[in-house]
Amino acid sequence: MDRREVLAERPVERGRGFMPGISATPARVLFTAGLTGRGSDGKLVTGGMGPQTQRTFERLQAILGHAGARFDDVVKQVVYVTDYDAYNTVGRAARAKFFGDSRPASTGLVVRRLAEPDILVEVELVVDLAGSPQGEPLLEKYDVENHGGEFRQGVIVNGGRLVYLAGQVANEPDGAVSRPGDWRRQAEKVYENIGHVLRAAGASPASVVKETTWVLSIDAWRQHRGPVRRAFYDGDYPASTLVEIPGLANPDFLVEIEVIAAVA
Amino acid sequence: MPFSTIATPQARPVANYKMATRMESGRLLYISGQVAWDASGAIIGKGDARAQARQVLQNMRGVLQAAGGDLGNLMKITTYITKIEDRPAVAEARNEVFPGELPASTLIVVKSLFHPDFLVEIEGIAVV
Repeated sequence: MDRREVLAERPVERGRGFMPGISATPARVLFTAGLTGRGSDGKLVTGGMGPQTQRTFERLQAILGHAGARFDDVVKQVVYVTDYDAYNTVGRAARAKFFGDSRPASTGLVVRRLAEPDILVEVELVVDLAGSPQGEPLLEKYDVENHGGEFRQGVIVNGGRLVYLAGQVANEPDGAVSRPGDWRRQAEKVYENIGHVLRAAGASPASVVKETTWVLSIDAWRQHRGPVRRAFYDGDYPASTLVEIPGLANPDFLVEIEVIAAVA
Repeated sequence: MPFSTIATPQARPVANYKMATRMESGRLLYISGQVAWDASGAIIGKGDARAQARQVLQNMRGVLQAAGGDLGNLMKITTYITKIEDRPAVAEARNEVFPGELPASTLIVVKSLFHPDFLVEIEGIAVV
């Protein structure tokens, strides 16, 4: 573990809890799913942004704890919110209690909707773990809660080479968009393209560490994704994040999926 | 390079970016989402997505250089814009600094960024 801050925070960043960039040798890296403020009963905690942020980081703490990590080890965070003013007013303070003086690289986004309409904040982390690569298995995928979802809450990469895919969309090899407006066909095509790129990189669906799914409608996506994802991952799911946004690069795209994989 | 570029005829990029990159050696560098402020915190290019994108990329280059690299070390970038109409201006600014091919790339239209005046934010993963 050798997490390194590469540039002193600039005056504008002071007090905001993040650094411009963090580097680390990727000996062992943990990717978390996007976590939200659900209680142990699976229901969102009451009280709005403050309690949701608090609960989100408690859950992330448990995922880090399973891997022997602490918030000091976090390399990168992505904070998705649906209400920036509420996050700025109460969410930031709730978050700060967990990070203390430690500052990861960070991206903050205001999105249209998260998994449920009442979810105000979702956070995912990349974490530099202590220790040397432990060989097999290359990926250790785990949950710290019984969530029932088709994803894992944490995935540890033990010494592999990370593969970063461009966001994959439903385009044919000639560039044409597959069936504008057809969610099922776009879901199939996006995963088909992901499969092609993974194979070209020496990887497979089981090598996927993390996926981030950007959709124009979470409700529509949920009606179509199940069979397609099940066929693709065959039960071996990565950590994942699902976000609803107002647009993608081409107005005909309904979904775009970014994947990080690892090969030995 | 400490990373390799992955390509396949079966799935091609829809613009001038790499379909995927695989890290081969070196240190992994996660770069925060960069926005169009200068070192003092003043927003550069208020209302002008092209000017903002240029500043964003300049800030990103600063982080890379502090880590001993430059824009060529980027494996992956994600560009967040707040209006789809700004896409051509942002693409133009990116093409100025990535003369051939962009790194593996994703472009997302978000509801907003963490300040109402920010029109574009770019984050990156590099190997240095």
